[in-house]
Amino acid sequence: MLKILIKRNVKLFFKDKGMFLTALITPAILLVLYATFLGNVYRDSFTMNLPETVKLPEKLLDGLVGGQLISSLLAVSCVTVAFCSNFLMVQDKAIGTIKDLRISPVKASTLSLSYYIAALISTLLICLVATGLCLGYLAATGWYLSVSDVLYLLLDVVLLVLFGTALSSVINLFLSSQGQISAVGTIVSSGYGFICGAYMPISSFSPGLQKVISFLPGTYGTALTRNHAMRGALAEMETEGIPAKLIEELKDALDCNLYFFEKQVRLPAMYGILVATIIILIAVYILLNQFQNKRSR
Amino acid sequence: MEDIIKIDRLFKAFGEVKAVQDLSFRVKTGELFAFLGVNGAGKSTTINILCGQLSKDGGKVEIDGTDLDKNVNKIKGILGVVFQDSVLDKALSVYDNLQSRAALYDITGERFQKRLAELSQLLDFGNLLKRPVGKLSGGQRRRIDIARALLHSPKILVLDEPTTGLDPQTRKLLWNVISRLRQEESMTVFLTTHYMEEAAEADYVVILDSGKIAAEGTPLELKNTYTGDFVTLYGVDELAVKDLGVAYTALRDAFRLQVSNTAQATELIVKHPHIFTDYEITKGKMDDVFLNVTGKKLEGGGGNAENLD
Repeated sequence: MLKILIKRNVKLFFKDKGMFLTALITPAILLVLYATFLGNVYRDSFTMNLPETVKLPEKLLDGLVGGQLISSLLAVSCVTVAFCSNFLMVQDKAIGTIKDLRISPVKASTLSLSYYIAALISTLLICLVATGLCLGYLAATGWYLSVSDVLYLLLDVVLLVLFGTALSSVINLFLSSQGQISAVGTIVSSGYGFICGAYMPISSFSPGLQKVISFLPGTYGTALTRNHAMRGALAEMETEGIPAKLIEELKDALDCNLYFFEKQVRLPAMYGILVATIIILIAVYILLNQFQNKRSR
Repeated sequence: MEDIIKIDRLFKAFGEVKAVQDLSFRVKTGELFAFLGVNGAGKSTTINILCGQLSKDGGKVEIDGTDLDKNVNKIKGILGVVFQDSVLDKALSVYDNLQSRAALYDITGERFQKRLAELSQLLDFGNLLKRPVGKLSGGQRRRIDIARALLHSPKILVLDEPTTGLDPQTRKLLWNVISRLRQEESMTVFLTTHYMEEAAEADYVVILDSGKIAAEGTPLELKNTYTGDFVTLYGVDELAVKDLGVAYTALRDAFRLQVSNTAQATELIVKHPHIFTDYEITKGKMDDVFLNVTGKKLEGGGGNAENLD
């Protein structure tokens, strides 16, 4: 029963062109920003503070800009796509299909689980394809990744998808109309890119805002993808003779290094934060479902 | 015949609005039960409670011997519901829709294929299986809605205004299928409709007004109680009709006399045999019953009611 319900939900997401295209708005905005000016801005920032004697190869610069682009793209897509694919649970309520499902003896928990797993599958499919395309882009422009970087990047994508799906499941549970779908969809699509540091590095925000953002778990997801997508290119810079201090400063500026009240958050801690958040959000989703079911009875 | 649905003293309010008040009725196994009322009379609230979609404030509901409060899932398994508006997934094919809905009743694999073959033959939709539901005509979609409701061979079929907006051919097909299911499988049909000619075919009718039962009985009982008989008299002049001293309406080539019952009609005929040479006696219609009971008129198919008070 669960398998067929999941199949229904996944099929509906991919057949609904509106939902599918909405999911791609944020990555599309990001691509346009990079193609028009962000790429050049970052390229200049990478070379601006270098000693005059050092000249970085074009391929390395492309690798750096590309690494930043794909890390932002993947960090933001994993969450926005999850939201859009999970809107199916709201749409079922808004158009009344949920009545047809609940009229049967199916357990409410089975229905909730089917939405969660379907959103997870749809988002994973899209984001893994996107990861493949991003890696292809890096291979064409400037490849400095090791096998472990790629594997870590895949792990980051999976964790971010789990995080995005769990977060959207909790938020979407409170929505019930097409208007609410549009409102939340617009807010998430336009806002998440900023607060997770995908459009602009968090380091460029005011100190107060940086402190607020350091409380958001998604920020550490972006930092993880950025670390793994740029590690190879940054290491190559060191080989090219760039001082380690300068590279650390660059890592700070690029959000590879994140600080929680002046204390640097290391990569294992970032994974810990992300995994703990996923577990907490799933637990909240289960509890909210149980509460809603009890109330409706 | 046993009572398959027993409702005793049902209450439901939404804030200040008392949607259902002290509702009690019985539905017998295999009968066509018509539940009538204007919009807001409490029909949908009652149906939603029966189907376990809405909690009740008071009263007892027992379906096929099971208390709704004790085992709602068992009750859901014996109810099939055709909603007023189609609630299938428009983007998915007919096959995908029916497959996903059958899975809700644990009907999968070969069992599903077998049931699908039976239903596609019964409702004649074999050629529509691959088409998206959103691209079907109203009549085609209704057939799929009914197939969905019948997937698990329910004992009770709830039809919430099933023929509203349908063409006569599809309405006929639908009623043929329902009659066949009632005959062959003793299926109980719980119907709400705005078409009084459909209600007239019911075994038992309950008319709801402002959340309360305003009248109930067989169509014949209701007609006898709430409407008179009509005698249509041909080939006489108006003066002679006037002399009879009963209310009448002039038709194009006849006069329609309204009498309180068949006995009064017989009395008139016996008393004035020279006038009653060419005539016919008919009972009042369900429309008249509804109008007399509620003071409101059900607008056929439109779903609106006109208050004649």
